[in-house]
Amino acid sequence: MSPLKITTRDAATGPVLEIFGALDYAHAPELRQLVSVTPLQSGQCLVLDLGGMDFCDSSGISALIAARHHAHAAGADIALAAVPVNTLRVLRIVGLDQVFTLRPDSVT
Amino acid sequence: MMGRTEQQPDPNDPDHCHDGQASDAAFAALLEDSADDLYESAPCGYLSTLMDGTIAKANRTLLNWLGLEREAVVGRMRFADLLSVGGRLYHETHFAPLLRMQGEINGIALEVKRADGGRMPVLVSSVVKHGSAGDPLLIRTTLFDARDRRAYEEELLRGRRAAEEARRQSEADRARLQDALAVLQQSLLPHTLPSVPGVETAAYYHTASADRLGGDFYDVFPLDGKRFAFFLGDVCGKGPQAAAVTSLTRYTLRAAALHDPDPVAALTTLNHVLHERYTGGGDPRYCTAVFGTFEPDPATGAIAVQLASGGHPPALVLRADGTADFLPTPGGLLIGILPSAPFTAATTVLAPGDTLLLYTDGLTEARTGKDRTSLYGDEALLDFAVELAGESPHAVIQALTGLLDSFGEGLDDDTALLALGVPPTDPETRSTE
Repeated sequence: MSPLKITTRDAATGPVLEIFGALDYAHAPELRQLVSVTPLQSGQCLVLDLGGMDFCDSSGISALIAARHHAHAAGADIALAAVPVNTLRVLRIVGLDQVFTLRPDSVT
Repeated sequence: MMGRTEQQPDPNDPDHCHDGQASDAAFAALLEDSADDLYESAPCGYLSTLMDGTIAKANRTLLNWLGLEREAVVGRMRFADLLSVGGRLYHETHFAPLLRMQGEINGIALEVKRADGGRMPVLVSSVVKHGSAGDPLLIRTTLFDARDRRAYEEELLRGRRAAEEARRQSEADRARLQDALAVLQQSLLPHTLPSVPGVETAAYYHTASADRLGGDFYDVFPLDGKRFAFFLGDVCGKGPQAAAVTSLTRYTLRAAALHDPDPVAALTTLNHVLHERYTGGGDPRYCTAVFGTFEPDPATGAIAVQLASGGHPPALVLRADGTADFLPTPGGLLIGILPSAPFTAATTVLAPGDTLLLYTDGLTEARTGKDRTSLYGDEALLDFAVELAGESPHAVIQALTGLLDSFGEGLDDDTALLALGVPPTDPETRSTE
């Protein structure tokens, strides 16, 4: 399984975290850690771009939820972009497709 | 200032052209001069005895160790008299006989008594000197000071005892921890499923890892005289934190169901409890679960099932007529992540021969295929269920247990299975686990 790689950039709407590789039990804490130190201002939108993510288990889902808590605590919004089909299926089963704003494409 | 010249035997010799010769002579003289001194002041004890052990000669080093004057020792004591009681015994039974037999003996650890009453560990070697006719004349013995060595050995022993004690302690700790884990694990699952008149129940729990408490759970319990409740779910994560959520979830659902058995109400209560307990800590904890109630109709034998799902894969219904289908509960949210969450309800009636199957996603997420990259998936499970339709809950669980076994290494998550239904043919009440 490919290890996790996360790149951060700033878009007009707020920070964008691009996630590559596996968001699993071993690696999900890295996303949690990174999100917790990502500065967010009220009214911004934190975008997690999952286009390069090739695996996500329940630990990964937990990290996404933790990111949502972090964004809301800062008065910001959160969106998931380019969610892979397998992950989208899981998000639907657990009802999270209604909780997260989903964007079809990555933000440029 | 110490200088080389001061070590010369004749520092007053003014003739420097004889310097080389003079220092050679001085060196030889030093050696010659030290022969007695070497014996008396050697860094080991020397001892010569007659064949009966009577001490004939002893050097200064040994006398100093013993704290005795030469006159008190030579001709008056035997070698064995210098030894501690244990040493004397050993000397008599082993040392002396071996020496007589072999003519020499090396490196025996003994203790000598000192005049002040103390003991001093020594390493003793002896050799028998023979006369020209080959007859034994006397015994030469050296004694090495073994105090440092003894201290070192005792230090080693102490270290080893400490290490052994630490190991015993850690093994005891581990055993206690395993006992505690086993008790906790047992508290997360029902010991046996209750006997329900006219209903057969069966369950199976696959533990992916023996030493990590699992996060799947299930239960079946009576609500009142007529109705029963059941649930099955999956807590995110593993280990003690997940087990704590599992425990909280299990007992919250049991209590909530007694208060209000409506499935959506029970899940809503659980959602409140989990969200209140785990929100804000930066470590969200949640679970997925199907909760339901059923009520057997004694007249028809059918049971009416009401259930609701929070983020859990849909239940399967296997019909007596050989069909099977999911009982969809779309839109139900993970339990515990939001202060209020939607839960989706569904109902069904199980006639004789029908079975309701609940499972956790360890089953559908099992990795299959040669390189373990595909997931088993919903469709394969549905196909498998169609083949089992009409079988009893017990037979369905048995077949699925076989399926889980066939995944081998591909099954890397805990998996819980719970089936309940009306037995197809057997009119007797059965309840199996």
